[in-house]
Amino acid sequence: MDAILATGIQALTGIASLLLVSLGLAIVFGMMRVINLAHGEFLMLGAYSAILAVEAGVNLWVAMLVVAPVCVGLLGAVVERLVIRRLYGRMVDTMLATWGLSLALIGAVTMAFGNSVAGFSAPLGSVQIGAYSTSGYGLFLIGATVVLLLAVWMVLRFTPVGLIARGTMQNAGMAAALGVPTERVYALSFAAGAAVSGLAGALMAPFSGVVPTMGTAYIAKCFITVITGGAAMLAGTATAAGLLGSVNTIGTFAFTPVLGEVLMLGVAIVLLRLLPQGITGRFFRRAL
Amino acid sequence: MERRRAAFQSGLAVFAAAVAAWWLPQVLELFSIINATVYTAMAVLALSLALVWGFGGILCFGQAAFFGLGGYAYAVGALNVGDTTWAIPIALLVPTLAAAALGYVMFYGRISDVYMGVITLTVTLILFNFINSTAGEEWRIGAAPLGGFNGIPATPPLNVPGDPGTPLTPEQIFVVALACLAGCYVLCKLILRSHFGRVVVAIRENELRASLLGYDVRLYKLGIFTIGGAMAGLAGMLFANCVFVSPTMFSLAYSGQIIIWVMIGGVGTLFGPVVGAMLLQALTAWAGTLPDINPNLILGLVLVVAVLAIPRGLQPTLAGLLRRREAP
Amino acid sequence: MTALLATENLTMRFGGVVAVDGVTLSIGERELRCLIGPNGAGKSTFFRCLTGQYRPTSGRVLWRGRDIVGLEPHAIARLGIGIKTQVPSLFDGLTALEGVALGVRRLHGEREARRRALAALDRLGIADLAGATVGLLAHGQRQLVELATVVAPEPDLIILDEPTAGMSAEETAGTAALIREMSRDHAIVVVEHDMQFIRAIAETVTVLHQGRVLVEDTAPVVLSDPRVHDVYLGRPPEARQAVPA
Repeated sequence: MDAILATGIQALTGIASLLLVSLGLAIVFGMMRVINLAHGEFLMLGAYSAILAVEAGVNLWVAMLVVAPVCVGLLGAVVERLVIRRLYGRMVDTMLATWGLSLALIGAVTMAFGNSVAGFSAPLGSVQIGAYSTSGYGLFLIGATVVLLLAVWMVLRFTPVGLIARGTMQNAGMAAALGVPTERVYALSFAAGAAVSGLAGALMAPFSGVVPTMGTAYIAKCFITVITGGAAMLAGTATAAGLLGSVNTIGTFAFTPVLGEVLMLGVAIVLLRLLPQGITGRFFRRAL
Repeated sequence: MERRRAAFQSGLAVFAAAVAAWWLPQVLELFSIINATVYTAMAVLALSLALVWGFGGILCFGQAAFFGLGGYAYAVGALNVGDTTWAIPIALLVPTLAAAALGYVMFYGRISDVYMGVITLTVTLILFNFINSTAGEEWRIGAAPLGGFNGIPATPPLNVPGDPGTPLTPEQIFVVALACLAGCYVLCKLILRSHFGRVVVAIRENELRASLLGYDVRLYKLGIFTIGGAMAGLAGMLFANCVFVSPTMFSLAYSGQIIIWVMIGGVGTLFGPVVGAMLLQALTAWAGTLPDINPNLILGLVLVVAVLAIPRGLQPTLAGLLRRREAP
Repeated sequence: MTALLATENLTMRFGGVVAVDGVTLSIGERELRCLIGPNGAGKSTFFRCLTGQYRPTSGRVLWRGRDIVGLEPHAIARLGIGIKTQVPSLFDGLTALEGVALGVRRLHGEREARRRALAALDRLGIADLAGATVGLLAHGQRQLVELATVVAPEPDLIILDEPTAGMSAEETAGTAALIREMSRDHAIVVVEHDMQFIRAIAETVTVLHQGRVLVEDTAPVVLSDPRVHDVYLGRPPEARQAVPA
């Protein structure tokens, strides 16, 4: 019983992390159809801003939950202004430009902080479940992911801003014709996506260790998750994260972490072969 | 007219390669010769993506995967076979098969352009992670240990065919590389002039129309993608002959660079990407000598600026400028 | 005699919407058939089921008696069916001659393909556009280039989806004459909603309404049928029958 519970928590942690790191990308892709290849670096910058804040004496929780999303959100706003806005509707060019940005950010951070691993250890110690112990921080991560997901859903579902966002997502041309400032909606969405990524990066930092190239470790997983999810950004990303996260965890337990990832990619490719529009192209079509 | 121009350009390319093969070994030091070979290998790599992306319209973010596979297949083959001449077909075959398999999944799975970019990227990353994790003794293929993040430092160079005891000198390898570059350029020209090549270009222009005319779009895409994979594998084999193979060959930075070369040189041209590869290699090398600047920063900024400022690339932009000057 | 192309109970559903509802029709060799109906009648969906772009929910499409449902668009084209889409679908980066020749090249050698492509352009009166880049042409010219692309490989059946959309009255008249001329050697299906155009070319007309065949007869009969007028004016056709004539 305890063993099952402990393993279950382990798997849930895996799913939650996957969902967490993918959510920012999902928001940007779902709202704007922009594939942001600098997403991994947004995660990385979230982690670094949290570390710097902690080193400057800021409380750990404030650093992770406030400083990181604000910093990366601001950066997202700047990037949107300087690069993304000029390339709307040119999907491939946007991919190229954000990839350039990704390389540049890796380079800049390497110059500033060097190649060594930084980080802080997970707070909250461990929790005892019968004979097994599990990390308290892992449990916090699961909770934080659920709260974040619910928060985004409630903003989209119940607020006026959310209504405008959903309208733009469904039919940008019509929304613009009805007087919605789509440019501002896009700018806001990109900044919001960046902020969520920053938060995710900071929350993942105790797990992964922080290096300038940490984004590249995540980016493949994030893309596969978002794309397997399909059009509905929250429901899709959540179901895809659930499915792929489980596969990854099982693969990691049974073989090695690398094989876990290979297995996950394999499942994703098979899924895309069967459902070219992603999971929500077929199921939960009316979900958000 | 069109045919004569293509023949002229091919002839010019062969001539330029011959001159470089005769002249450069006389004036350059050994170190520079090896560097020039690396540049040449990169130019072949650039050509491979110029063909797949510029003419096939398939944006492959994972061209480095085939480059790395070619290099590793060569190294593993060479260590096992002894006579490294026989490692060449292996180095071509492995990436060709990999490209064919990946292409089959993507094109026959009707995966859209953007997802295709993401899938090629992901496959490359996975390969990178996988090769990096092969450090232990249990990871070996025949006589060749894969070596994890260290790669295979003992990658043997090509030898005189049939004589495993006599490896080629760096100058000779440089000549081989130049011959490969010129050969690939001419091959690209021939492909584009053939019926197959024209259908590939037509598919880039309009997939629906091509299929309504009775052409199986998937098959043609698979064809050009596989040829591109083989060419990238050849580049990897050449690269393995001047440096040695290591997981960085699969890295995102490499995949990124290839796209930058083609982008800067001009999507839809052949000569542009070759020049782009040489220019950016020189830029990267120069950036590497700057004490406090990370080359990734420069490469990244170049790409962003290029997308925003010269989205058509150097060759078309320059050609456009020239034409405007000629016209009154 | 088996028909060249026939459909049997062809049905296409999108979720709860039945866009094409049990359509059965047959087209013989060298027949010129018009398929008309108001917007939303299911013409375009029917068209896409024929060309393989959609896979019908049920029913069969028979080419010389052989079921071709499930074939890829390119395989259907290879049977000898030339297709012109509603929005001109062309190779914008190529010249008109290159694009037209490409379709013929699948069947003939290089030189012959060029010759036939030029002949097709000439037949449509646009031989002077042979060297022009297609992407730079005006809409009416693009329609003609696409017609040339479709006709040049000499398919047994030509399916035209709204060939006169966006054409001037003069161009429309020219196209009508052209279609009549082409119908001497090819079977042709024209999907249209322009009644004037139908009047100019049609022999047999099939009217689709709400995914079903409303009426099928010779052009004069169909065009004077009050039910057809009703559906075009948005009235339910049954309403008329209740009123004694």
